[in-house]
Formats: sequence, structure tokens, C-alpha cells
Amino acid sequence: MGLGRGTAPGVAQVVAEHKTPIDHEAEASDRVLFGFWVYLMTDLLMFSVLFAVYAVLHGNTAGGPSGRELFSQPIALTETLLLLTSSFTCGIGMIAARLGNKKQVLAWFGVTFALGLAFLGFEIKEFIQFFQEGHTLRSNAFLSSFFTLVGTHGLHITSGLLWMGITLGYVVKRGLNNHLVRKLTLLSLFWHFLDIVWIFIFTIVYLMAFV
Amino acid sequence: MKEILIGKLNMHALPHEWFTIGGTAAFGALALVAIIIITRMKRWKWLWNEWLTSVDPKKIGIMYFLVAGFMLLRGGLDAIMIWLQQALSVDGSQGYLSADHFQQIFTAHGNIMVFFVAMAFIFGLINYIVPLQIGARDLASPFLNTLGFWLYIGGVIMVNMFFALGGEYAATGWLAIAPLSGKEFSPGVGVDYWIWSLQISGVGTTLAAINFVMTILKMRAPGMTIWKMPLFTWGSLCSMLMAVSVFPLLTATLFLMFFDRYIGTHFFTMSGGGDPMMYTNLIWMWGHPEVYILVIPAFGVFGEIVSTFSRKPIASYTTNVLGMIGVAVMSLSVWLHHFFTMGAGADVNAFFGLMTMIIAIPTSVLVFTWIATMYKGRIKFTVPMLWFLGFIALFTIGGIAGIMLGVPPADFQLHNSLFLVAHFHSNVIGGVLFGIFAGITFWFPKIAGIKLNERIGRNAFWCWITGFCLAFIPMYVLGLMGATRRLDHYSSSTGWQPFYILMLIGGIIIMIGVALQLAQILASIIERKRLVDTTGDPWNGRSLEWSTPSPAPSYNFTVIPTVTTRDAFWEMKKQALPKPQYEDIRIPKNTASGIYISLFAFLAGFGFVWEIVWLWVVSLIAIIVCIVLRTFNDDTEYTLTAAEVQKLEEARQAKAPKPQPASADDADEDEMGIWDLIKIVVAWAWGVVRRREWRKW
Amino acid sequence: MSKDSHIKAYIIGFILSLVFTAIPYYLVVTQAIKGNVLLGAILGFAMAQMLIQIIFFLHLGRNPKLYWQLGFFVATFGAVLVVVAGSLVIISHLHHNMMPQDLTDKIAGEEAVHEIHGEAVGTCPGGTGKVYMINLKNDAASPRHTDAKLCDTIIIYNADSEARDIEFGVHEKHETYAGESGTTLRPGRNMVLTLTELGTHKFHDHLLDDITGDFTVTP
Repeated sequence: MGLGRGTAPGVAQVVAEHKTPIDHEAEASDRVLFGFWVYLMTDLLMFSVLFAVYAVLHGNTAGGPSGRELFSQPIALTETLLLLTSSFTCGIGMIAARLGNKKQVLAWFGVTFALGLAFLGFEIKEFIQFFQEGHTLRSNAFLSSFFTLVGTHGLHITSGLLWMGITLGYVVKRGLNNHLVRKLTLLSLFWHFLDIVWIFIFTIVYLMAFV
Repeated sequence: MKEILIGKLNMHALPHEWFTIGGTAAFGALALVAIIIITRMKRWKWLWNEWLTSVDPKKIGIMYFLVAGFMLLRGGLDAIMIWLQQALSVDGSQGYLSADHFQQIFTAHGNIMVFFVAMAFIFGLINYIVPLQIGARDLASPFLNTLGFWLYIGGVIMVNMFFALGGEYAATGWLAIAPLSGKEFSPGVGVDYWIWSLQISGVGTTLAAINFVMTILKMRAPGMTIWKMPLFTWGSLCSMLMAVSVFPLLTATLFLMFFDRYIGTHFFTMSGGGDPMMYTNLIWMWGHPEVYILVIPAFGVFGEIVSTFSRKPIASYTTNVLGMIGVAVMSLSVWLHHFFTMGAGADVNAFFGLMTMIIAIPTSVLVFTWIATMYKGRIKFTVPMLWFLGFIALFTIGGIAGIMLGVPPADFQLHNSLFLVAHFHSNVIGGVLFGIFAGITFWFPKIAGIKLNERIGRNAFWCWITGFCLAFIPMYVLGLMGATRRLDHYSSSTGWQPFYILMLIGGIIIMIGVALQLAQILASIIERKRLVDTTGDPWNGRSLEWSTPSPAPSYNFTVIPTVTTRDAFWEMKKQALPKPQYEDIRIPKNTASGIYISLFAFLAGFGFVWEIVWLWVVSLIAIIVCIVLRTFNDDTEYTLTAAEVQKLEEARQAKAPKPQPASADDADEDEMGIWDLIKIVVAWAWGVVRRREWRKW
Repeated sequence: MSKDSHIKAYIIGFILSLVFTAIPYYLVVTQAIKGNVLLGAILGFAMAQMLIQIIFFLHLGRNPKLYWQLGFFVATFGAVLVVVAGSLVIISHLHHNMMPQDLTDKIAGEEAVHEIHGEAVGTCPGGTGKVYMINLKNDAASPRHTDAKLCDTIIIYNADSEARDIEFGVHEKHETYAGESGTTLRPGRNMVLTLTELGTHKFHDHLLDDITGDFTVTP
């Protein structure tokens, strides 16, 4: 007793659910949010490998200087505070986005962008200083894992800033519509996630070096 | 100046050995034939619009099958070459392969079979069947679906690229353990090709896995709670959750290996503080769950098959599901059993040995639920059921061997011996591959609209199982006798040669089985009028996919059904059929973004392999641009109105063949056998030659 | 959730995070506590701040619709722990048994090991000072007792016609000396020991445990 070619058409449905366009939108939004969250979890797992490698190799300096000799605690604290504040302003920006307030969105996300850029600036300055002193990725296992872990986080921040810039540009051009609010939601998830990863970088890389 | 333009590429990279010339010529010839056929039939636009840019998971599933099938032949050729070498190269004879070439062959064989055959077949099945089983029209993200597929294709091209440029593949074993895979000991481009083929297709896999998880968790039909899902969907969910967890580990590890080779970092080097053992640790953290990712969907397939052909619901649904979940969760705690001998010591080895043995418990629970399903069932021994029985035999043998290997002191004797090789082939072939064959045979009517020829199918099965036993049972014996894996040459005083020759014969019988499977498809096409599936439910199935026509229309269901029980379709069949209903359907548009992004990903990888800096810089930027353009594109769907759906449905029913009387299904005396097929093919070929029909082509 | 409660959540989260950043920073800079206690403390604060940000910035756990996300996060965090902790445990065990070259050199230097695989390393490279001969002859070691100074050399020579398996310590309780375990000496072969460890050390022939002897190393 099958159904299909040639016999009774259709499917044995009991009830046909009618989805309005708004239901469809809401469902799609919910799905995208969920999927992006799953992606963030895979990103977290990628970072876990970098953390594991750092934890295992951070003592292998092959005679070179260790973190205690290289890192500057005040700079690490500054970077942490910059990123933390930007995570906060991002959150406030999201509240404005859900309320549909275009001006406030641009203001708060603008501040987030500036703080993120400042964070990157400090980090790049730190890296350049190390390179100039001769401490590069190729020097030893400790530096390889340091640059890779912190650098990968920095690359993520850069992508986030790029994403933020483009999205804000669209907000200026098209105004705040549902799609853009959804994009900002995903972006803010990404940004908060990056700050959480940074907590561990701050602790395991910069603080642990001085324990 | 030349270095800036083309990096490390030079004249020497062009094919100049017999196998690189042969491989390039073979691929080139195949490509040429395909191009000629498509051009003569004027099907380029059709190909692009209907298939390549399609986001329909059914079409993408079929494309996965086709490429995976092709790669199965490519990997199988590697296997025959290995068997042949090992049967020949005793004492004075060096065989026909150099040691380095032999090492590249077994490396390629492993990579291709795991990544480009098994994963691809599984993804094809999940793509086609899961949305139908859960009552969905599509996956959660059609774009990620096509992107994942084309990234896989990028990996396929990358793993075969060395034939044309470079001349060498990795000679390190399929997981390229450090430090052999580092720049010091593998300075050529082989390992780089290895890295980037796996990296590109690995990212595709991760994205596809996210997509599958989203789909199964968020897009089930109303009323289908998670405890009412069919078993194949459960298997796919467990497997894809694992994939989401462990493929990022592979991505990160491959990047670290790449940095060691390209930049000169010291992660896994022997100097500068690097630790090669960390590579082994990380790669197996991915590698072990990977094999369970492959086999758990096969478990799901067998659950469907055994309950359909025993005409009973699965003996205990909850136990079966918990078994699959148990295997999935525990598989993340056993990875060290791949390197007991690396020296972590008795404490650590004992823990992982115990976990390895414990994981056998949920696996055997699964076997018992399937067997219990057969008990007091009215069993129909169709070809899928035969594959299931073969699976029970081979997988159990392999599993018991695995338990033996999981005992650390025993493993010190058996590690990297042929015993190990026989074990994992029993599980991968008996489990994953037989599951794939069973699944494709079982769902072939749904996919193609016709059943497969049973008679030739049975012949193929018996060749496979006979060939497998001949090829791998002696391997267990050889392993216990002390034969190491990956030997390209040995002394006759070992007494091993007769076994190797026996294994070669077994391998040839397997190849005959493969040929019979291809013949089965050909015979089914020739016999399609007799084998056509008119009802959409040729096996008296239990789950929702059987409620659609065969093959299913692009939107799967005219209206999403509401589900109230497990074995949803079985229950629905007992009730009266309502009138057909139609509603507006949102259909995602085709897109070429998947193709473009994968193209640039491939070019970036190629640039990394040959150190062509401008190429990878430009390609990476292009990927970002494509992604931005796609994500900010709001116009990705169109609506098929209810009226249009009704017209399509009525047109399809008008063209459909009339249902056959029920007895035709069971009468297979007049079913085409292999000799009948050979006679038909020879007669056709002779006719073409005699009447010079080839001039028309 | 209303706009006000949202803003409140962000402000509380921000202030708590600031506090949970400042405290571990202060602890490390002033070294108020040390060693493993400090390590445990800063890791604890990191976990706490992560939870704060998850609850107050990401709103997980407060919205019943987001339960799937919470489940995923917990599972992922578990996997992260397996990856990081598992790697640490396994690699430390591996290092203890199978050290890569750099670490081997380091430990050799620390434990005053003299020679590894024929390469001179660590203290007393090449051996200095006097050379003392101990002959294994007529089923006995002569002399049975030797007094020597640090960095002197002892050579144990097998003058008998049978192989001797010279091991350190007493029979059934073998020890090592300066990183070397004993070795089998065929007739006519000898064993060279650079005396880098102080104290009195016994040796014996494992095959014929009548043959015993000892040497004392003083600075």
C-alpha cells in the first residue's frame, strides 16, 4: 500500500500546518542563530588544540627567554580591559539594535570597533617588538605556540572588525532591517565568544608565565 | 623573479615517471571523454543549472555517490597494486614498485578510502535520506550544503594533483606522523598535497556536519520528537555531532603541521623544543572518533534494513539509540590505544585499554538488538539483508580482534602488524562499506525510481564476502606470525609468500565483486521496466521516506506531514488516505558561490603547496569577498505557489507507469543474470561495430 | 526580557568581569600566593569570569529557548577539557619515559650524567683524574673495594674466560650509577665509569653473584 506514481496521490497527512511568512522568518532566524552557535563551538575546539599545544610546549624555549622574561603585564592588562569593554559596548549596541534605534547602533558599535582596533594595535605592537628583538615563530616551540595561539585570536578579532565594518556600512546604506539585526546578533555572539577565549589567553599565557 | 611568479614549480614537477605519466594520461582521457560526450549532447547548461549549482540535497547526494564511487575504484587500484607487490617481492625480486613509490601508494590508499570514499558515501546517504525521513524539504542551510560538497571536490582534485604536477604524494602513511612528515625528512611537495587535500575537504566536512546537526535538531516534522526519529537519522545525528566535535581538532593539527613545514615553526620538529609525540597524540584524538563517525550511520542503515526485512519494529528502539549514543560519547576517550607502544607507561595505557574494552559493550548491545529483531520475524533475504548478515559476521570478527588489540601487553606484540591491518579492514569494509552498499541497494528505488537487479546483486555480495575472507583472514594469521604492515619486500624464509598470494587472489575476487556491482546497475537500467517502483514503497517500509513518490520531487513533500509515532509511515499506512493538499513552497535558488569559494580554496591550497605567495594571498581575499557577497545577498529563495505544485504533481502522476501486479516483485526466475547481461552487452557492441553506428556519435 | 533588565545584566556582567580580571592580576603581580595555589586560583577566576560572561553577556541559562545552546556549550567545554587535560597527562607521562633530545640534555646536566650514547655530556666531560682498574679474575673482583675521588675513572675489566653481567647494587635489588645501568662484559671486555656521583656504591655479577665489590667516591 504505497503512494506515489499512478496510485492515490499525495501523502497521508493528518493536519497541514500553514506557516505564515513571519513564522518562516522567525524559524529561519532561530535556525541560523543555532547553526552559528554550533560553528562557534567548533571554533572553540580549534582553540583547544592551540591551548593544549601551548600548555605542553610553553616550557620548551631551547635556551631562549621564557614568557616571564618577555611579557609585559601592564600591556596584557590593557589589552584585556580594552576587549572586555568592547564586549560590553557590543552588548549595549545589540539592545539598541533590537529596539530599532539606528543612531545608537552606529554609536555603540562604533565604540566597539574603536576599542577592538586599539586592542589589535597593542597586540601588533607587541609582536613587532618581539620580532625586532629576534624572537620569532621559528625561534623555538614556546614562541611558535605563543604566536600561533595569540595570533589566531588576533586573526579572529580582525575578521570580526572586518565583519563589523561591512555590516555597519550596510546599516548606514540600507537602514536597520531584520536581516541586518540578525547579522548584528551573530556578530555580537562572535565578539563575546572572542572575549571569553581571551580570558583564557590572558590567564594561561600572560598570567601563568609569572606564576 | 621566477620564484615570485611560480614559487617552487619547475620543469621537474611535470610528469616524468611511468605512474605519473600514466595517471595524468588516464585522468586526462577520462576528462576528455566526458567533455566530448557533454558537448555532443549539448548538455553544458543543463549540467550547470540542474546539477552543479543545485542546492537540492538529493542532487548533491547523487553527486557525492558518483564521485565517491569513482574514488573507490581509484583507491581499489591502489590496493591491487599493494597486493601485487607483496605477492611478488620475495628474496631477490624487488617487485615492480620502488620502496618510496610503494609507501606513497599505501598512504594514498588510506587517505582516499577514508576521506574521499567512505565519508563521501555517508554524506551522500545522509543528504538524500535524512530530510525525507524527518519530513523536511531541505537541509537547514542549502548554501552550506553545496559549499561542503564542492570543498570535498577541491580535496579530491588536490589529492590527485600530484600526478600532473609534483610527481610525488606523501610517503608517510595515511596520517603522516611527525617527524617523518616534517620538512627535514619529507622535503618534497607530497606531504603538502596531503595536508591541503585533507584540510580543504575537512573544512567542507565540518560545515556539512554543522548543517546536518542543525537540520536534524531543528527541522523535524511536527510531532516527531527526538525519540520518534528513525534509526538512520539517529545514527546520522550521533555521527555528525561527533564530526562537529573532532574535525576542528584535525583542522588545527594540520595547520600546525603546515606551519612547521612552511614557516619553520617548532611544534613537531625534533629540535627547537618541538615534540613529535604531540602530533601523534593530536592526530589520533581526531582519528579515532573519525572511524566511529564512519560506522555509526552504517549502524543506523542496518537498523532500518533489519526491521524492514524482518517485518518487525526494531527489537528495542531505546536500547539501540542509547547504544549508538554510548558508542559516540565513549569514542572520545580511547584514542591512546593507537599508540600504546609510544611509551606513555602502564598507568595511562591501562586506562585507555579499559576504555577501549568498555566501548565494546554498547557495540555488542547494538548487535544483539539487531539479531533480536530478526528473531520471530518473517525474514525476506533480499540483497540488503545479505549485506547485513555479512556485516554481522565480519564486523564481529574485526571487533573481537580490536578487543585483543586493546589489551596493551598484547598490543605491544601486534601493533603495526598485519593483524592490525586485518582488524581495521574487517571493521571498515564489513561495517562501513557493507553498510553503504546495503543502504544504496535499499534506497536505490527511492533515489532512481527502480529497484536493483537482485540476482546479480547476490552474485556481487558473495564475491565480496568470499574475496574478503580470502584476502583478510590470512592477514590475521600473518600478523600473529609477526608480519609487519607496509612491507614492500621480505625474505622467503618467513614462509609468508603463500599467504600474500592468497590475499592477492582474494583481492581479485573482490574486484570481480565490484565489477558485478557495476554490472548490477547496468542490468537494472536495462531491465528498468520490470524493476520500476510504482508505489514509492517497494519494500513495505516503515519510515517517512517511503511515503513519497520514487524518485522524490524536489520539494520532497507537498505538505509536511504531522507525525504521532515511531515508524511514522507504518502507522500512516493503516489509516485512510486523505485528499491531496497543496500549499506554497519556498524553494532555495541554485547558487554557484559554493563552486567559486571552493575553486579559490583549491587555488589557495595549491599556492601553499608550491609556495606561490601571490596566488594564496589573492585566493584568500577572493574567498572572503565571495563569502561577504553571499551572506549579504538577501535574494536566495523563490516561491512555488500551491497551484504550480498541483500542476507539477498532476503532470508527474500522468506520466507515471501503471502499478504492476504484486507477484512480479517476487518472481525472479526471469531476472537477468550476469551471463544474460554479458550477452546483451556483447550483442549491442557487435551491432554498433557492424552497423558503424559509432559514426553517429 | 525587557530592555532594562538587559542593560542591567550587561552592567552587572561588566563590573563582575572587571573584578574577576583585577583580582588574579593583582595576585600574580604581588605574588601574594605562590606556586600551584596561585595557578589554581587564576584558573579558577578565569572559569568564573567565563561563566559570568556566558550568563550575563550571552544570556545562556536564563532563556528556556536557548537550552540547546547551553547543552552544546557544556558538551564542548567537556571536550575542550579532554583535549587539554588529556594532552597534558599523556605528554607528561611520555616525557617521563621517552624524552626528546632537548629535555634529555637538560636532565643530563641536572643529574650529573656523564655520557649518553657515547657522547660526553654533563659534568666531568671526558673524565679527569686517576684511573683505577678493577679486574674480574678467578671468579672474584680485585680489588673488592676501591676508594676514589669525584671525576676519577674506574675501569672494570673481565679477565676471566666467561661472560660477566656487572650490575650495580646488591643481587635482586639493582640500581643505576650516574645514569648507567650495568652491562654484560664478554671475556676481555671492559666497562669505563666516570665517577660523577658521590657515596659508596656496590656492584655484583648478576650471573655469578659470588662476585661482589664496591667503590666509594669522595669529593
